[in-house]
Amino acid sequence: IIIITEPYFNFSSIQESMNEILFEEYQFQSALRINAGSLSAHHYFTSKPSELCCLVVDSGFSFTHIVPYCRSKKLKEGIRRINVGGKLLTNHLKEIISYRQLHVMDETYVINQVKEDVCYVSQQFYKDMEIAQMKGEENTVMRDYVLPDFSAIKKGFCKPREEMVFSGKYKTGEQTLRLANERFAVPEMLFHPSDIGIQEMGIPEAIADSVQSLPEEMHPHFYQNIVLTGGNLLFPGFRERLEAELRSLVPAHLPVNVFLPENPVCYSWEGGKLLAHSPDYDEMVVMREDYEENGHIVCEEKFDI
Amino acid sequence: MVLEKKSSARVEAGQRRVLDEATRQRRLTRQLEALEKDNFQVGSGTGPSRGSGGFQCVSVSSEKKRRKTRGDHFKQRFRKNFTTLLEEENLSERAEPNYLSAAAPPSSLPPRLFCCVCGFPSHYTCTTCGGRYCSSRCLLTHRETRCLKWTL
Repeated sequence: IIIITEPYFNFSSIQESMNEILFEEYQFQSALRINAGSLSAHHYFTSKPSELCCLVVDSGFSFTHIVPYCRSKKLKEGIRRINVGGKLLTNHLKEIISYRQLHVMDETYVINQVKEDVCYVSQQFYKDMEIAQMKGEENTVMRDYVLPDFSAIKKGFCKPREEMVFSGKYKTGEQTLRLANERFAVPEMLFHPSDIGIQEMGIPEAIADSVQSLPEEMHPHFYQNIVLTGGNLLFPGFRERLEAELRSLVPAHLPVNVFLPENPVCYSWEGGKLLAHSPDYDEMVVMREDYEENGHIVCEEKFDI
Repeated sequence: MVLEKKSSARVEAGQRRVLDEATRQRRLTRQLEALEKDNFQVGSGTGPSRGSGGFQCVSVSSEKKRRKTRGDHFKQRFRKNFTTLLEEENLSERAEPNYLSAAAPPSSLPPRLFCCVCGFPSHYTCTTCGGRYCSSRCLLTHRETRCLKWTL
């Protein structure tokens, strides 16, 4: 018995290969292939049974999807995909550090760690830019990050502000990176992909665009139930920034409510756990005997990916 | 002395060649595609790219050599790119909504431009390649390092 998640609008060639791997190579008795956002939506509806619609924002490694759900069914016309994900943010950070400070183009894992430790979403972008341009003690945005050398320092860490030396070099021999505007300019790409040249809307605009494309009477329901899932949501300050940006895009009479679970990464997994225990589970799954008799058609019809 | 430097950076501009729009567009597309790469490595995950953690790397490399004929060879012959898969799907013939229609449309807000050297908001454009810069010091750095590199 397995539940496995897939991206939205996954290619049929990949879906068929998945079926073959699950049933023929691993010989699972039953399998469910589902979108990750559907599991999050199920989790949300189970925790708030009074709500009918919700909008799931799933921001992962490869891209970000904005998906409206109504009564546990995804509304395909409203799905929006932004091609900005953790992969893009890490690659961009690698490029700018390699150009400005130290060649790190091969150190994806280390820079990924830097991104997770040090980057945050700023609430006032231009003000933070001005602060980052100041010199010395006044620049509260700047941080030093100690890189691992795998002999004494196994894992990189951000130096606490008290230990930072603003002028001159450090006495100890460790390699450090000095990050100022990169700290908040990199996550800014989720909100404005045009910063880097990608001709797509950012997350707040895409949410507004997605809800606009749906019937008018559902708009308030969607704006009140926005669920944030995925790894990129771990940046501090994301929720507040998204709420502020949405508030300026959405008509004033509609209330906006953004929900960030305590663990955005595992939220959809927990949803999968709840789904496995729910009574409708057995009807959603495809059994191996079904697949062996009828082939890919049965999976294509049952799993609405 | 500062005045000298400023005039030299901008006077040279008259003698440099200017890239046309198509070349600039090609450079931009190349940069964006480089951002999309996966960095997938067999045996990566923890640790540095060049092994200084000796034991782990040795075992991975010996396993790789043994399985090379079966695993890697198979992958090399039958590997398909993302773009190939996308073309195979023939999505223009399928009903909406599909993968292509779900792509977010271009933003209605104007793009914010940043200096390619220091990352702060920029106000000026390099005349040859179209890169943005914020001050003449950044322009000098840009000219010395990145201006006409990797031009097709």
